[in-house]
Amino acid sequence: MNPIKFLEPTDFSEASSLLDQYTDDAKIIAGGVSITLMLQQKLISPSVLISLGRVSNYDFIRHDQDGLHIGALTKLRDIERSDIVKKFCPALAHTFSVVGNVRVRNQATIGGNLSAADYAADPPSMLAALNARVQVQGPEKKREISLGKFFLGFYTTALESNEILTEVVIPNLSSSARAAYHKYTSISAEGRPCVAVGAVADFDADGKCLDLRIAVGAAVETPQRLNSAEAMARGQILTDELVAAIAEEYSLRLDPLTDVRGSAWYRKEMIRVFVKRALQEVRNDR
Amino acid sequence: MILNVNGSRHEVQEGTRTLLEVLRDDLGLVGTKEGCGVGMCGACTVLVDGRPISGCLILAEQVVGKEILTVEGLEKNGQLHPIQQAFIDERAFQCAYCTPGFILSTAALLNENPNPSEDEIREYLSGNLCRCGSYQNILKAVLRAHQRV
Ligand SMILES: Cc1cc2nc3c(=O)[nH]c(=O)nc-3n(C[C@H](O)[C@H](O)[C@H](O)COP(=O)(O)OP(=O)(O)OC[C@H]3O[C@@H](n4cnc5c(N)ncnc54)[C@H](O)[C@@H]3O)c2cc1C
Ligand code: FES
Ligand code: FES
Repeated sequence: MNPIKFLEPTDFSEASSLLDQYTDDAKIIAGGVSITLMLQQKLISPSVLISLGRVSNYDFIRHDQDGLHIGALTKLRDIERSDIVKKFCPALAHTFSVVGNVRVRNQATIGGNLSAADYAADPPSMLAALNARVQVQGPEKKREISLGKFFLGFYTTALESNEILTEVVIPNLSSSARAAYHKYTSISAEGRPCVAVGAVADFDADGKCLDLRIAVGAAVETPQRLNSAEAMARGQILTDELVAAIAEEYSLRLDPLTDVRGSAWYRKEMIRVFVKRALQEVRNDR
Repeated sequence: MILNVNGSRHEVQEGTRTLLEVLRDDLGLVGTKEGCGVGMCGACTVLVDGRPISGCLILAEQVVGKEILTVEGLEKNGQLHPIQQAFIDERAFQCAYCTPGFILSTAALLNENPNPSEDEIREYLSGNLCRCGSYQNILKAVLRAHQRV
């Protein structure tokens, strides 16, 4: 590797100003898992790395009136082990616990995982089903982006070139809501997902489904929700037939990709299986 | 730039290099191995502030000011660490290329969870690969080590 300038701003607005100043020559480095890999494989050749390693106060997990807040620099391993997260939504803690191996989770940050926008990732699908949003800091202003609008395509996000992701916010779940995350790996247990399914459902006292949100990722470019399929559940009891029909809808309508983890055809089959399992889990957990 | 490795300070040349390269090439700490180079095998495991990470996936500049522990830092006064001894007693290796990584991961596991179940051990160590397939003996070594640590 050629020597690259390593800058260590101490807050996000300074980091964002540096990004603004160096534009295309600079890359943010948070945990550095993806960045180091890309440098080693010569996929990127920045002249400046802007490290977030000295930014303080953004390694936090907090539950407020408006939901769960996770600072962008929080390590995946800390989210997985957090009692606050486990209490807020056990499926969310589980999602982080199945990312790669323990070394990756010790180093990788939630901000880096989302900003990398790798389709073969776990947190995006669960967070999309949970209606999460991200807070973003530019050189002048801050803004919020819902996760549904954050992922634009392969390795592409709605972040401007001078913006930094600072925080993830997950709105409160009603006490009757249930969530599940299903990761299907086709190569090795600790590998990246072939299919990722995040599901959240809320039920009334009679067991009728009030609201259903399912995001399917890893098999497609960005996590996908299907209004048509989600609407099928509204006001209904999630019978085996309905669960199968919703799973079929996802399998039919999504247009999966082919890579080392599976062909498009295979993924369509697996989407059907894993959407069904995720739905059965939220239904049976009630 | 200064790195704190195994309790002492080392001046190393600046530059964009992985921690693994600096440990092996500059400091001669060749107990840390390179296997896959992409974070999957665990041969390059080191502890940074007590947590296992892949030396091949972190830049040396990122760990300035942190405490780095390699397998060479485990023995004290010529005495092997109980985990090292347990790996020998259980013959938990064949070629031993994976062993430093397994030993450091075990150290971190037992620090976090002093009394792990077999399933917890398997889960925690699932990111460390052994091409010789010594897994059964490694499991025995970890079980033996946790009684001693
Ligand atoms: C062996 C291995 C297995 C893996 N398995 C999985 C898996 O099963 N599931 C999964 O989901 N992922 C998996 N990953 C990917 C891993 O989770 C990501 O590489 C990691 O989360 C990236 O986080 P980081 O903090 O290290 O990011 P970095 O490498 O520091 O950055 C990643 C990208 O995001 C940008 N960036 C970082 N932080 C910010 C920010 N706050 N604002 C704006 N831009 C930012 C950087 O410029 C860079 O482009 C695996 C990786 C490896 C090496
Ligand atoms: S060499 Fe680093 S994990 Fe394999
Ligand atoms: S003993 Fe040879 S790789 Fe594990």
